[in-house]
Amino acid sequence: MTGDDPGPLVRLFGLTGGRARPPGEDFNLVAIVTTVPTAHAQGDLSPEYLTVLAMCRRPTPVADVAAQLRLPLNITRVILGDLRYEGLVTIDRPRPATQAIDERIYREVLHGLRSL
Amino acid sequence: MGYAASEPATTGTTPAMAIKILIAGGFGVGKTTMVGTISEIRPLHTEELLSERGVGVDDTSGVEGKTTTTVALDFGRITIREGLWLYLFGTPGQDRFWFMWDELALGALGAVVLADTRRLQDCFPAVDYFERRGLPFVVAVNCFDGARRHDPAKIRRALSLDGVAPIVLCDVRDLESVKNVLTTLVTYAVGGSFGDRLPPRDGFTHPPAAPARPS
Repeated sequence: MTGDDPGPLVRLFGLTGGRARPPGEDFNLVAIVTTVPTAHAQGDLSPEYLTVLAMCRRPTPVADVAAQLRLPLNITRVILGDLRYEGLVTIDRPRPATQAIDERIYREVLHGLRSL
Repeated sequence: MGYAASEPATTGTTPAMAIKILIAGGFGVGKTTMVGTISEIRPLHTEELLSERGVGVDDTSGVEGKTTTTVALDFGRITIREGLWLYLFGTPGQDRFWFMWDELALGALGAVVLADTRRLQDCFPAVDYFERRGLPFVVAVNCFDGARRHDPAKIRRALSLDGVAPIVLCDVRDLESVKNVLTTLVTYAVGGSFGDRLPPRDGFTHPPAAPARPS
């Protein structure tokens, strides 16, 4: 898919009803998306939306959702924003890494890197 | 349907967390190679559709009437454990995608600025950017075959670094070397809060020593 070929873009924006921005608060590339366990989706969701709901039963960062969907990030974000609006997923707002990392996580990361 | 299953949404007691690290540097300096060396997956590729907001004022010739374009975004992943990941994002090389750096840098742990000593000036914009943003970064000098091994002190002067950001010599194709770059960055970015210090600056004039601990 390239910018020179408008076909897929038209189709992709069709997927989002022409929207390029997700509803509600913006979210980060590494924000964690989690399907709400008790969520009951209406039957009229498109396959991409259902794929996200299945995928995010395991908490999954936004960038990974986009890569697995093989969709551009901002299209993915519109889908995620919709699902959040419907109460079907939660999207955690990540804190800055330097604040979010406590000593245990720091040691885990160092150990994990050295063990590769 | 599958999505309504009652499987727990979180794993264990700690919430899932993804830590973002940026890999910056000039075009062709080895960013994608570095990500590929250490990523557990082949670098994933996604694209960002750019609205007119993202298309810079610098280059509109030939794109008149075009309202969207795409920029590729490559990233790799390292799973530390279930629910704790490191994501390595290669920054887009072209200047007109600077706005994407803002988003990439938001909340990031820090950055690796890859430098090629033959074209040291290519990494100036990245150094400037991270200094301005106050994002911790290390300069990793890619010492590929045939490249003269430069003295980090000279590189520090050439980059006008403030004397704090570590400089490491590395080979982006070598796993141990890339591990050393990332552990240096993690220690530099947050280790100080937990009593860890980097080796003295002249420690970086030597090739990185492999960690002694068994893997």
